[in-house]
Amino acid sequence: MIHALRYVFLIVIFIPVLLPVCGSAQEEDSDSFDTEVTDFDIPEVDKKPYSFSAELEVSENIKGYDNDSLLFYQKFPDGTDKDTFFQTDFNLKAEGDYTYDIVKLYTRLNGTLYYNEDEHWETDFKAEEAYVSFQQSPAFSLDIGKKVFKWGKGYAWNPTAFFSRPKNLEDPDATLEGFYAVSSDMIKSMDGPLKTIAFTPVIMPVSDHLNDDWESETDVIFGGKIYFFTCDTDIDFMFLYGSEVPDRFGLDFSKNIFPNFEIHGEAAIVKDYVKYITDRQGNLTEKKYNAISYLFGIRYLSSMDTTTIFEYYRNGKGYTSDEFEDYFSLIETGYSQYHNSGQMNVLMKSRLHGKYYNRQTAMKDYLYLKVSQKEPFDILYFTPSVTAIYNINDKSGSIASQITYTPITNLEFDLKATFLLGSKYTEYGEKVNDYNITASVKYYF
Amino acid sequence: MKKTILIILISLYSAAAAFALDGNEILKKVDRNLNPESFEMYRKLINIEPNGLKKEFLMYSVKKGKEKIASVFLSPASEKGRSTLRVGENMWLYIPNVGKPIRITSLQSVTGGVFNNADIMRVDYSSEYNCEKIETSDDGYVLHLKAKTSSVAYDIVKMFVDVKRLLPNKIACYASSGMLIKNLYFKNIKDFGDGIVRPAVIETDSPLYKDYKSIIIFAKIKKRKLSDEIFTLNYMPKVESLRQ
Repeated sequence: MIHALRYVFLIVIFIPVLLPVCGSAQEEDSDSFDTEVTDFDIPEVDKKPYSFSAELEVSENIKGYDNDSLLFYQKFPDGTDKDTFFQTDFNLKAEGDYTYDIVKLYTRLNGTLYYNEDEHWETDFKAEEAYVSFQQSPAFSLDIGKKVFKWGKGYAWNPTAFFSRPKNLEDPDATLEGFYAVSSDMIKSMDGPLKTIAFTPVIMPVSDHLNDDWESETDVIFGGKIYFFTCDTDIDFMFLYGSEVPDRFGLDFSKNIFPNFEIHGEAAIVKDYVKYITDRQGNLTEKKYNAISYLFGIRYLSSMDTTTIFEYYRNGKGYTSDEFEDYFSLIETGYSQYHNSGQMNVLMKSRLHGKYYNRQTAMKDYLYLKVSQKEPFDILYFTPSVTAIYNINDKSGSIASQITYTPITNLEFDLKATFLLGSKYTEYGEKVNDYNITASVKYYF
Repeated sequence: MKKTILIILISLYSAAAAFALDGNEILKKVDRNLNPESFEMYRKLINIEPNGLKKEFLMYSVKKGKEKIASVFLSPASEKGRSTLRVGENMWLYIPNVGKPIRITSLQSVTGGVFNNADIMRVDYSSEYNCEKIETSDDGYVLHLKAKTSSVAYDIVKMFVDVKRLLPNKIACYASSGMLIKNLYFKNIKDFGDGIVRPAVIETDSPLYKDYKSIIIFAKIKKRKLSDEIFTLNYMPKVESLRQ
């Protein structure tokens, strides 16, 4: 009964997405207009010292279990009595600021109330950003507090985002949670070939209570980004230094080689990076090396308003196919042992090692392609897109189709279906799910 | 005889004067009459569909020199905080959720509708176009403009200029093939103060968007001294703080 209601909910969200296709023919019959809109009454022009905005999103998520995959065996060694996993999310993201003279307080809060059959009603709340900013002049500002630093030019991946949490590959545009830091922006504009130079230093304290995601007990991490705008090209150099974390250096660039054709790239080196590798018995070894990651990409807009984003990513921290096969073999051994003797120790080992192997983009070489078409067939405010992620090393991947429709200002409908494809012993072929459907409606206010 | 020679000389002088009309100089004057060297303004963009439905956007913009303009969306809520920057032929869009600027092109439209980014992030016409021919008529000048580079949104532009005010009445934008892309109609001459007298409304239609129409309404155009550092990627998230 509950499942039936969920499907009804999914369809209710889905109907508005289909409406524009039906509605476009009616619009063609409309008479030409002669509207004259010349009143310009905009009370919003009067600036207030504070501002507030928010977005409320309701979404239904359906995941289809791949009952024969190794990560399914790892998570559910006894199996499950259902083929699908449902979750309903109510998400509220609110941001506000207050300005007094050169001081600005800013915060963005993200709270989710969700329901699924395993956990029932649960909440997840975080302050993604909360900082005070001192804007002495356009050339100098100082920020103290929790802030996101999204460095790098890549769309799907950013190996140079040294002070950032990893993006969600399924939604690279989603907001992220920041880190507590002190940072500054120092900008200098000039005439001549070098038009802008900007320096963004970052100081980040790490302890058990502050920025504890970093694998360091007590440390002060220093870093920075130097930006150059020259010859119509954006260029950044980045670095990160800490006594207990590996030093990092990186660079990126972005340039329009034609008005509708942009190229970008990133490269980063993490010195003395430690990779944890398991063998087929679950013995973990450390491999220390300089991990070099890089990315090349393009963004192309056709005369038909089709946008194509294509990226190649080399993950220097990633595992080889052989290393991943050992991990899969460990899970398989653990699963067999559990079913033959009831012992969980090997499977538990594989779960522990999963924090290294079950991450997104865990292997070496990937391709990303996103093609979106703006307002096809004259259907206004309607954008379909297709996204493909391909693991070059094991020839597995995912393909997602998405349609977004914003028929009314501030109201957005979204429907996305993702299918994971891959054979046995491949990254995408062995994931817990083999499809994922999400329908959502978002209201901005 | 002397009188005849004098008449001929005067006629020749007048003809020479007309011939000497420098289209590029007129274009520069049109640019300065449309807006000061360095200023701020508010703009409301309205996209009107054939069925009468409207979408409105409110933007705050600052412009400096011939080719630097930065803007931020104040409404609707779904667009609030998005900012755009143009420096010469380079254009960027900053979306707060995404958290970093991305490069965009003049052919795209951050608002949808008939106006594209080149219209919304308009820099001086004289920085993008050369006047190749000028025609005079009772209604004013017709400037035949040709894009200086291939990266300009419209390859050919015909600007119909009011001879008295040296302001455009209409601009017709063409592709290099000669196909009409859109018309821009400049309406409602308004005194914004401080010597700024210019059209308060630009309407546009396009054969490519049949029966659709977009309008820009200008308000509070004010001269303002602006630092060059405002027109940089690092400053894009902070453009709204310039509002007074």
